[in-house]
Amino acid sequence: MVDTKRKSRDTNNAKMAKKNKTPTSSNKKGVRRGGEKRKRSGPHLPNAMKREIELLNPRSGSDDEIDSDEEFAGKDVYEYEEEVPEEESKKNRRYDPVENFEFELPEDFKDENVDSDEFDSDDFDDEAQNLGDDVEEDDDGRHGRMLQEITGIPSDAFGGKKLKNNIVISEKDITKWEPLVKRNREAPTIFFDDKTDLNFSTVGAIASEFEPRTEFEKQMAALVNNSEVAEAHKKDGARLLELNKVTMEDVKDHQDRLAKMRNLLFRHEMKAKRIKKIKSKTFHRLMKKDRLKAAAHEIETDPEAAKKLAMKQEYERIKERSTLKHKHHNKWAKRILERGLGVQDDGTRAAMAEQLHQNALLTRKMNSMKDDSNSDDSSDSDDDDDVSGASDEEGKLKLLERAKQKTLTILEDDEVPNSGLHSLPFMARGLEKRKAAAEEEAKLALQEYEASLKQSEGTDDLEKGTSSGRRVFGAPEQQIQDSGEKIRSNNYYGNSDSEDDYETKKDVDVGHARKSYLRKHVTVDPSVLRDKSQIGHDDLFKSLNEIVEAPGTKTTYDVAIFASNSWQKPRNSEQMKGKTEVDANGNNSLEVMEPALDEQEVEEAENDDDSDTEGNIRMVDGILSAVDDSNYELPSQAELIRRAFAGDDVEEEFEKDKEAILNEENPEPEKPVLLPGWGQWTHVQKKRGLPSWMLAEHDNAKKKREEALKKRKDAHLKNVIISEKVDRKAEKLHTKTLPYPYTSKEVFEQSIRMPIGPEFNPASALEALNCPEVRKRSGVIIKPIGFEDMKSHERAVNLKQSGKKRNAKNQRNKS
Amino acid sequence: MAVEQENGDPGKIRPAVEEDISEEMEIKVKKYLRGEGANLEVLQDKKLKGKLAAREKLYGKSAVAAAKAEKWLMPTEGGYLEPEGIEKTWRIKQESIAREVDISSTRNQYDIILPELGPYSLDYTSSGRYMALGGRKGHLAIIDVKSMGVTREMQVRETVRDIVFLHNELFFAAAQKKYTYIYSREGIELHCLKEHGPVLKLQFLKNHFLLASMNKFGQLRYQDVTTGEMIGCYRTGQGRCDVMRVNSFNGVVATGHSGGTVNMWKPTTGAPLVKMLCHQGPVTSLAFHPNGHLMATAGMDKKIKLWDLRKFEVLQQLPGHAKTMNFSQKGLLAASTGSFVQILGDLNGSNKYSRYMNHSMAKGYQIQEVVFRPYEDVLGIGHSMGWSSILVPGAGEPNFDSWVANPFETTKQRREKEIRSLLDKLPPESVMLDPSKIGTVRPTKKRNKPTKLEREAELEAAVAAAKSMPLKNKTKGKNKPSKKLKKKYEAVDRAKKPFLEKQMEEENPTKKKRKTESVADELPKALQRFTRKKPAT
Repeated sequence: MVDTKRKSRDTNNAKMAKKNKTPTSSNKKGVRRGGEKRKRSGPHLPNAMKREIELLNPRSGSDDEIDSDEEFAGKDVYEYEEEVPEEESKKNRRYDPVENFEFELPEDFKDENVDSDEFDSDDFDDEAQNLGDDVEEDDDGRHGRMLQEITGIPSDAFGGKKLKNNIVISEKDITKWEPLVKRNREAPTIFFDDKTDLNFSTVGAIASEFEPRTEFEKQMAALVNNSEVAEAHKKDGARLLELNKVTMEDVKDHQDRLAKMRNLLFRHEMKAKRIKKIKSKTFHRLMKKDRLKAAAHEIETDPEAAKKLAMKQEYERIKERSTLKHKHHNKWAKRILERGLGVQDDGTRAAMAEQLHQNALLTRKMNSMKDDSNSDDSSDSDDDDDVSGASDEEGKLKLLERAKQKTLTILEDDEVPNSGLHSLPFMARGLEKRKAAAEEEAKLALQEYEASLKQSEGTDDLEKGTSSGRRVFGAPEQQIQDSGEKIRSNNYYGNSDSEDDYETKKDVDVGHARKSYLRKHVTVDPSVLRDKSQIGHDDLFKSLNEIVEAPGTKTTYDVAIFASNSWQKPRNSEQMKGKTEVDANGNNSLEVMEPALDEQEVEEAENDDDSDTEGNIRMVDGILSAVDDSNYELPSQAELIRRAFAGDDVEEEFEKDKEAILNEENPEPEKPVLLPGWGQWTHVQKKRGLPSWMLAEHDNAKKKREEALKKRKDAHLKNVIISEKVDRKAEKLHTKTLPYPYTSKEVFEQSIRMPIGPEFNPASALEALNCPEVRKRSGVIIKPIGFEDMKSHERAVNLKQSGKKRNAKNQRNKS
Repeated sequence: MAVEQENGDPGKIRPAVEEDISEEMEIKVKKYLRGEGANLEVLQDKKLKGKLAAREKLYGKSAVAAAKAEKWLMPTEGGYLEPEGIEKTWRIKQESIAREVDISSTRNQYDIILPELGPYSLDYTSSGRYMALGGRKGHLAIIDVKSMGVTREMQVRETVRDIVFLHNELFFAAAQKKYTYIYSREGIELHCLKEHGPVLKLQFLKNHFLLASMNKFGQLRYQDVTTGEMIGCYRTGQGRCDVMRVNSFNGVVATGHSGGTVNMWKPTTGAPLVKMLCHQGPVTSLAFHPNGHLMATAGMDKKIKLWDLRKFEVLQQLPGHAKTMNFSQKGLLAASTGSFVQILGDLNGSNKYSRYMNHSMAKGYQIQEVVFRPYEDVLGIGHSMGWSSILVPGAGEPNFDSWVANPFETTKQRREKEIRSLLDKLPPESVMLDPSKIGTVRPTKKRNKPTKLEREAELEAAVAAAKSMPLKNKTKGKNKPSKKLKKKYEAVDRAKKPFLEKQMEEENPTKKKRKTESVADELPKALQRFTRKKPAT
C-alpha cells in the first residue's frame, strides 16, 4: 500500500515536472518562430475582442511576453492550436503569386479608418485585400499565358470580354487542329505508353549516385577508393601483385581450415543421412527418450527453460479454464447433446470426443494429484511421527484433524508486528481487515472439518466391516469399470447421465472421498451391466445382419432366409414358368444344405432367373428369330395392336394435334353470346339479333388470329409444328433492348456474329480484336494534347494507321 | 481401284493451280467470317459506322488468318475410295480395302464374337480413343481402341439397354433393367439414378453436362451430372419410345415416336420445340449431321428421309429400312438393318446422298447399333454376336484439334481439359434451335393480356407482400399501434393501386384515347381555360 502511494506521489511529481517543462519547450518554439512569423493560436476573434484581450495583458515587442500570452491562452479555453490557414501554409504557390510580397505603402499614405473598430487592429487585413486584388488581375493573365503555352494560339483568343475589339484569331488557327482531333476521335485505340523516361538508364549512372552509408559500405568504400590501390591500378598493374602478396602459411592455414570444415560438414551430413534412414522403431523411441531426457535435464539445470515450461503450462491451464473445453457442461456441448449426437457431422463428433478425452485426462490428473497430495501428507505425517500404517481412510481422518489443529493455531496467534512497514497505521488497518477475513474463513473451514469428521465416524463401522471385502473386489471392479468406459467411448452418449453423476462425485471434497468412492462403485456397476447387455444385443443384431457369427444365432438367420424365400415364392411363380420355378426351388433346397451361402448370392440367382425369363427369344447358334429384337420382352397385346395399326391415321392425328396447339398458342375468340333481355327488350333483340359492335369485335379478333397464324413459322409447313412459346429461363440470354449507339436490330446482330475469344481466333488477330479503347501504362502521365503539323505527314500516317494506330508521331502528339 | 487412307503419305498432291488455291481460300475465309457483314449504309450515326467498318476489317483479317492456319497447319487430308473405270465404290469389300491400307489401319478391321451376352450397344468418347460396350445380358466393357486393351470388363447380371460415356472416359452411364447407373472407369458403381426409372435410351450432352434419358413410360429426363440436379422431366405423351438422339450442334434432343413424329426438346421447356410428322409408320431411327442442319430419319414405312433442319423440309428420300443410323464427322451416313450395313455419302458435294459402301455381316447377326469412331475412318458395329469394326475411308475428321478432343491425350491433359470444360459448361437454358441467336435482341412476344385469375393472383401476392413488410420502429409518438395499423393499410392500398388503375383503363379505354387526342393539339396549361369547347366554324 505504502509503495503504491509513494508511486502515485512520484508520478504526480513527474507530472508536475512535465508541466513545468512544457512551457519551456514552447518557449523555445516561440523563439524559433518569432523571426519568421507570429504564431497564431485560438480562433479568429473579432477585432474588438482582441483588443480587449490585449488590454488585459499588454503586449510588447519582446518574445517572452508573447510566450506568457501563449501560456495564458493555453490555460484558457482555447487550448488547441489552430491549423495554419491554407494561404499561409506555403504548400503551393497558389496564394502567393506576386513577388513583391513585402508591400510597402507609399510614404504619403494615410489610413483614414483609424477610428473604426473593424480595420485598425493591424494593417494586415488591408494588405491581404490589396493582395487579393492583385492576384485576381494577375490570374487572368496567367491563365491566358498557360493556354497559350499549351495550344500555341495567341493569348488574345482566350481573353474573353477584355479583348473584345482586337481579336485576331484567324480561322486557320482553329481549323489546323481539326485533323488532329479527328484522328484521335476515330482511332479505335489510343496509346499513352511511350516516353517512359526512367531517371537511371544505365548501371553506371546508378552506381555513380551511390553513397556509402552503413559501416560495411563505408569500409568497402575506403578500400575501393584507397589511393594506393588506385595508383596501383593506374600503372601497368605490377604493383597490384605486390599488394596482393599473401604468405604461404596463411594460404595453407586457410586451406586447412576449409578442409576441416568441409570434412566436418560431410561427416555430419552422412550421419544425419544414416540416422534418417533408420527405420527401427525402438531406435527412434530411444532417441526420443534421450531427447526428452535432455530436455528434462535442461529444465532442471537451466532456470530459464524451467521458467518457460512453467509459463507454458500455466498458459495451457488458463486456456483450459477459460474455454472450459472439457466434458459437456458448456453451452455448445449442451446444445449439441440436445440436438442428438447422431445427427451431427464427423467434425462435431470429433470435437466432442476431444472434449471427453480432455475430461478423462483432467480427471486422471486430478486423481493422481490427490494421490500425490496423499503421499505428501503422509510424508508430512512421517515428520510428525504419525506413521500411517493403516488404510488411506485413516490417513485422511488424521489429515483432517491436523488441518483442524492448524487452523486453530492460526486463529490463536494474531501478533501485530511492531516495527517496519507493517507498523504504519494504514498498513495495520489493512492487515487487520485481512486477518478478520482469514479468521472467518478458518472458522468456516473448522466447521466443515468437524462435520466431515462426524460423518466419517458415523460410517466408520460399515466401512471397516467392508474394508477388506472391498479391497478384494475393488481391483476387478475397477477393471470392469475401465472396460465399461472403453465401451462407452464406442457409443458415447447412451449413458451420459450416469457419467455425469460419476463426474460430480469426483468433484466432491476430500472429506467425502470415502463415501463417494463407495457410491461411485455403486453407480457405475449397473451401467457396466447395462453396457454388457447392450453389447450382447449388438452382437445379436450383428449376427442377424451378417452371417459370420456364432452357430446359435446362425440358425435364426437361416430361418429368416427361409421365410423370405418362401414369401417370395408365390410371386416368383407368378412371373416365371414352371420350369424356372422348379429351378428356384432347387436353389432354395440347396441353400438349406449350405447355410453359409450368402443372401446376395440367392438374389443373384433369382436375378439370373429373371433375366432368363426376360430374354424370351433365345439365340440358337447366333441365329435370331425374325421378330424385332429391339426389346427383348414380349410386348403386351395392346402394345402389339397399337404397333400394328400405328401407321393408319397418323396424319389425321397430327393435324388434330397441330390444331390443338395452335388453339392453345393463339386462342380462338369466343363467339358472341346473346343474353336475353340484357340491354334491350327481348322482342327487339329477337328482331335485330346480335348487336353490330359485338359482331364487329368478333370479326376483328378472328382476323387478328388469322394473321397471327399466318405469321407463324410453321404456317406453310403442313407436317411441322414449331412452338412459339417463349422460354422464360432463356430470356436472360437475350438483350432486352438495343444497346445504345445501335439503331437497327439487324446491324447489331450482324456486329456480334463473330466470336472474339481466343478459342475462335488465331493469336495473330486476337490482340487487335480485343484491344481496349485506351492503352496506358500505369504511372505514365497523360499530358494535354500538343499541336503537330499533320499535313506534311498525313499520308504516311494514314498509310501506317490501318485498323489501329501506333506510331511514334501520334504519341508525341498526345503526350 | 485405289484406296486413299488418311494419315497416308502426302506425296500424292494434286497439281496446284493458283486459282484453285485462291478459290479454296475464299471458301475457307467465308466460313470463318460466319456470315455477311451488316449493311452499314443504313446507319445514320457516322461514328458508329466508322467503328463498325473498322471492326469488320478486323474480322476479315482474323478470318484470313484462320483460313491460312487451317490450310497450312492441318495438312492431313481425309481418305476416300477412288473407283477406276466401271468399278463402283459399293462393290469394294473390306478384304480388298485391307490389302491396300497400312498395317495400323488393318488392325481396325476385326470381329469380336461373344455369342452369349449379345446384342451390344456402343459408344465412343469424343476423342475416339475409348469404346464402351454394353451387352444386353449385362456385359459392360471399356476398351482402349488404340491399344485394343480392355480397360475394364464386368458383368452386372441384369439387362443393359444402353450405354453412354459421360464427358470423358472416366465415367459412363448404363441403362439397366430397373435403374440407370453411373460407373467409373474401374467399374465402381458411383451413382444409381433411380429417378430415371427403367431407361431405354441414354444420351449425353457434352457441352451442357446433361444426361438425357428416355424411359419405358415415355418420360424424357435431363439430369445435370455435375451437380446431380434434375433439370427437367417431361412426358412425351406418345407412348414408349426408344429412338432418341442429341443434336450435337445445339444440344436439342430429338425423339422418334410410334406415331411417325419426331419431337425436338430442350431441357427447360415442357413442350417440344418442334414436332414434325416424318413417317407414316413408327420412326425406327434418327441421326444428326455434325453440322446440325441435317437430320436423317428412318421409319417402318420403308423410307429413309433426310431433312433440312433450317427449313424443316425433306431434302431427299431414300427407300429402305434402317434400325440404326449414324452420321460420321465428315458427313457419311451409315444405316443398317438386320445384318446389313449401308453407307451413304454426298460424294459430289451436293446434298444428294447416294450409295457409298456396303457391308454385310455373317448371316443371322442382328445389328443393334452402328457408330462411327471420331477422328478415324472406322465404323463400329454392335450386333447380337459381339461387335465388329470396319474401315470406311473418308469417314473421320483427319485433323484433330487438341483443344476439342485429343486421341493421344495424357492424363494431365485429360485432367486439365475436364476442368476447362467444366468452367465452360453451358447452362441448360442455352439449348435452343439456333444457338447463334444468343445475345441478340429478345424477340418481341405478343403481349397477351393476363387472364383474370392471373391478375388476381398477382394482386394478392402484392398485397401479401405489402402486409408482410416489417415496419420500422419510429420515435415515441409515431409508434402507436393505431398508427402502425394505418400505415399498413396505406401500404396495402398503395400496392393495390396500380392494379386498380390498370383495370380502370381496361374498362374504359375509349375515354383515355379521346383524352390523349384532345390533349395532342392543346395549348399550354395556363391557356387551356380560354379555349372554346366547340371551335366556331
